[in-house]
Amino acid sequence: MNFKEQRDLFRTKKVSAKEAVQESIKKINGDNLNIFINSFQSEALKQAEFIDNNFDKFKDAPLSGVPIAHKDIFCTKGLPTTCGSKMLENFVPPYDSTVIHNCNEAGSVMVGKTNMDEFAMGSSNETSYFGPVSNPWNSDLVPGGSSGGAAACVAADITSISTGTDTGGSIRQPAALCGVTGLKPTYGLVSRWGMIAFCSSMDQAGPFSRDAFGCAALLDAMASYDSKDSTSTERPDKNFENLLAKDFGSLKIGVIKDIDNFGINPDVMQSYEVSKTVLSALGHELKEVDFSELSTGICSYYVIAPAECSSNLSRFDGVKYGYRASDQKDISKLYMETRSEAFGDEVKKRILIGTHVLSAGFYDAYYLQAQKVRRMIKNKFESIFKDVDLIFMPTTLDQAFEKNRESNDPNRMYKEDLLTIPANLAGLPAISFPNGFKNNLPIGGQFVGNYFSEDLLLATTNRIQEVSDWHKMTP
Amino acid sequence: MDKIELKNLLFLARISADEKEHTKIIEKLKNTFDLIDEMQDLDLSDLEPLNNPLELNNVSREDVNNDRNSKGEFLNNSPESDEDYFLVPKIIE
Amino acid sequence: MAQNDTIIKGWQPVIGLEVHVQLMTNTKLFSPAKNKFGEDANTLVDLIDMGLPGVLPVLNEGAMKQGIKFGLATSAKIAKTMIFDRKNYFYPDLPKGYQITQLHFPIVKDGVVDVNGKEIRIHQAHLEEDAGKSMHDKYDNKSVIDLNRSGVPLLEIVSEPDIRSAAEAVDYLKKIHQIITYLDISDGNMSQGSMRCDANISIMRPEAEEYGTRAEIKNINSFKFVEKAINFEIKRQIKLLENGGTVEQETRLYDSVKDETRSMRTKEFANDYRYFPCPDLVPTNISPELIEEVRKDMDELPEEKEARFRSEYNLGDYEAQVLCSEKTTANFYEEVCKVSDPALSAKWIIGEVNALLNKHDVSLNESNINTKNFSNLILKIKDGTISGKIAKEVLEEMWEEGSDPIEIIKSKGLEQISDEGELEAIAQAVIDNNSSQVEAYKSGKDKLFGFFVGQVMKETQGKANPGAVNQILKKLLAN
Repeated sequence: MNFKEQRDLFRTKKVSAKEAVQESIKKINGDNLNIFINSFQSEALKQAEFIDNNFDKFKDAPLSGVPIAHKDIFCTKGLPTTCGSKMLENFVPPYDSTVIHNCNEAGSVMVGKTNMDEFAMGSSNETSYFGPVSNPWNSDLVPGGSSGGAAACVAADITSISTGTDTGGSIRQPAALCGVTGLKPTYGLVSRWGMIAFCSSMDQAGPFSRDAFGCAALLDAMASYDSKDSTSTERPDKNFENLLAKDFGSLKIGVIKDIDNFGINPDVMQSYEVSKTVLSALGHELKEVDFSELSTGICSYYVIAPAECSSNLSRFDGVKYGYRASDQKDISKLYMETRSEAFGDEVKKRILIGTHVLSAGFYDAYYLQAQKVRRMIKNKFESIFKDVDLIFMPTTLDQAFEKNRESNDPNRMYKEDLLTIPANLAGLPAISFPNGFKNNLPIGGQFVGNYFSEDLLLATTNRIQEVSDWHKMTP
Repeated sequence: MDKIELKNLLFLARISADEKEHTKIIEKLKNTFDLIDEMQDLDLSDLEPLNNPLELNNVSREDVNNDRNSKGEFLNNSPESDEDYFLVPKIIE
Repeated sequence: MAQNDTIIKGWQPVIGLEVHVQLMTNTKLFSPAKNKFGEDANTLVDLIDMGLPGVLPVLNEGAMKQGIKFGLATSAKIAKTMIFDRKNYFYPDLPKGYQITQLHFPIVKDGVVDVNGKEIRIHQAHLEEDAGKSMHDKYDNKSVIDLNRSGVPLLEIVSEPDIRSAAEAVDYLKKIHQIITYLDISDGNMSQGSMRCDANISIMRPEAEEYGTRAEIKNINSFKFVEKAINFEIKRQIKLLENGGTVEQETRLYDSVKDETRSMRTKEFANDYRYFPCPDLVPTNISPELIEEVRKDMDELPEEKEARFRSEYNLGDYEAQVLCSEKTTANFYEEVCKVSDPALSAKWIIGEVNALLNKHDVSLNESNINTKNFSNLILKIKDGTISGKIAKEVLEEMWEEGSDPIEIIKSKGLEQISDEGELEAIAQAVIDNNSSQVEAYKSGKDKLFGFFVGQVMKETQGKANPGAVNQILKKLLAN
């Protein structure tokens, strides 16, 4: 069931919040894809009853009476928050993240926390300490990552909306691989307070849903200016759900010149070409733009993200919360063993890379150079957006792939983010939506827009979804 | 990167790894740096580094305190504490 | 470069100080937890100070204003844009595994202070967070962590290596102390750690063009120890170099019990702090409007106060300087002057009150002397109720008991006898009882006049008004 149908059932009192939650819980208990790390069934039922008892108050809220699953990266007061890591297996935050708070206020009911790559580092959900998530379309395949559980949750119809975070593509890539719609907002639109940091200058939370409508409503709930986050921005006075119907007219849509040089799978390319004809048919003008610098984004990303993560993850030392190793001969041993035992290999690898690029003698060649590449990418986007309203490209190079591919060729996995990373480097909003289906698997395409153009991204996607059915397909 | 550099790196990051693993770790890191090093050919000397995408001006808050005292909650959440303090193995100065 | 009087055995010491000052604010640098000394362990700790996963720092405007104030007071450049960096290292009292500080774009740059007529340059002053405290005595095999201090705002004031002797270092430190306490930037309490000092010390031949290798002495916590630590370190380096050794660039600790500095345990690997701009805090612009706002609210600086005291209370340079050396003293003096004679008040504060303070090694506001009882004392001296000698006694009593001088004078019967009739009768009796001395005096032994004064004082237990006694005796003895 899609989000709008579900919310309408609540608003017309045909289905209570409690009944909707019971239905989700039933599906969670039957889940064999390992989508959830924790589910909070009694708490969810209680909250649903509360909403039912206060029907009038919640009736018009953006997410009224709808079950929601949150990525296990958002702190939930009194309920475990693991970030997919052994380090936080038993960690219970004493506070709610702003995203959780906003979603609660908006009338949704959290049924559980979804599986993810450990500390959001990964593109396949295989780095989770709690085991990989399977792709709902084919359980031998990965759902993408790091918000793999969140995308799979919507694809498997357990909830109609879920939250995720996107640092280098962690919403858009799993959305594409699972056949759902996912939006990474402009950096700063959604507060990072209470969202466990991976790369602070790129992390951004955003919505998953089957379609643009669900994403718009969830974004209405999630986005808010937050004085607790110094990088939070004043929210534009926009109601994304209402703006879905706005006619933005004929748009200039940039398509990247020689994009096939980036090694995109022919099936993905074919869907891309079909979508281009759809866009033309909808009255938009396609304009070829040069973005040959795009591929250097990966180099920049795999310096900056590890650098920030090496620092952000220093707080996990076994002293104040979280895991502590039993070997406590001295403080140095305590640190070493705690971090070695409780971080997975990918996290350790990125911490080491990040430590190296920030260390004396390497800072200029790596960290500073990467920040300049970042500037270059941002400048390039700015010049492109002088000519076009949106950029359209595939979300991923490939469709969902088999588990354990990473161990054979890690750089291939990193390159998987080639088309998603640039938006994170520049802080731009981008949306991925299902735009094709091949080999019994979904394919995703994405729009990247200018700063704070979420309304345009959502409305344009919505228009496509009015004339196509890719987003309605279910496993 | 050699084994001495790796040892230093592991120490800075407070991560321990069996000596037997060191060659493998160096291989893995090298592999990533091969990917990263593609940017070294770019001459970007005329560009300012970009730390934060939005280039906002930082905000500040008024100097007004809260009266939160979560001592018990914080200590309870810790791996080891007594009624007043977090405990760690003895630090030898 | 060299100043002859600071050269020791042919070596010129070169010293720079890094002074950490805890800022007087209601809250911490990046969290709304209370900034206060001496509370129960771990009771002033916010989510942010704990470094919990997902928390974010938000800059305290009050701390920023304190930094600006210091910059204005030292004629420094206030940054148009300041940037916070992360300094990464592991320590149990550093909850996030990094300290937020300012490396390349500090709030204050290029200041200067006047120390005994010499300009000592301030390289920069930057805002940063304090760490928590780890203590090692509670258990045999455990250390304990208190995070109350975690996140307390610090201003680190870094001087240029312009200081040439231990004594000058202390004077510089006192100058910094004077500025920060005058402007309520900090309480400057060294024993509680709200002002802490690291010293960078090297020695060179006076004719040399380059500084020698420096050693850094960490965390010196009193003016006295600053002097001792630096002097010890200078001697150590001279001895080392003269015996053909070399000074190592290292961090040393001062042990006040043994009066020596010693190398801190060198770690297996060099530390590498991996500074980089803190991505949770974007660059902070400081507007001219904010600087003006701070300037308007700023208290008088010591020099300004001295000048005002000279003109307003007609004081000499020395008196004004002594009274203004500490803000508490200056404020005390001004309060007293509202009701008492400025010249007499100045004389007594500089003389007797300061002597008592020094003797007991306490500050004015820790003592029993307050503006009310002190004003009354000055009034009683001025109107002749008590003599200076008696006044000293009364002051001692006030010091001990904190009582009012009027009460002391009354209860002990210390009023000066100024009544001419009464004094004349006593003087006449003294003359009558000492006829041989009177003879001798009259035959030219002028010195005996003091004898008669002494006798009158003895009879009156010192309460006679000395001026009146002189006059009366002169009159009677002339007959």
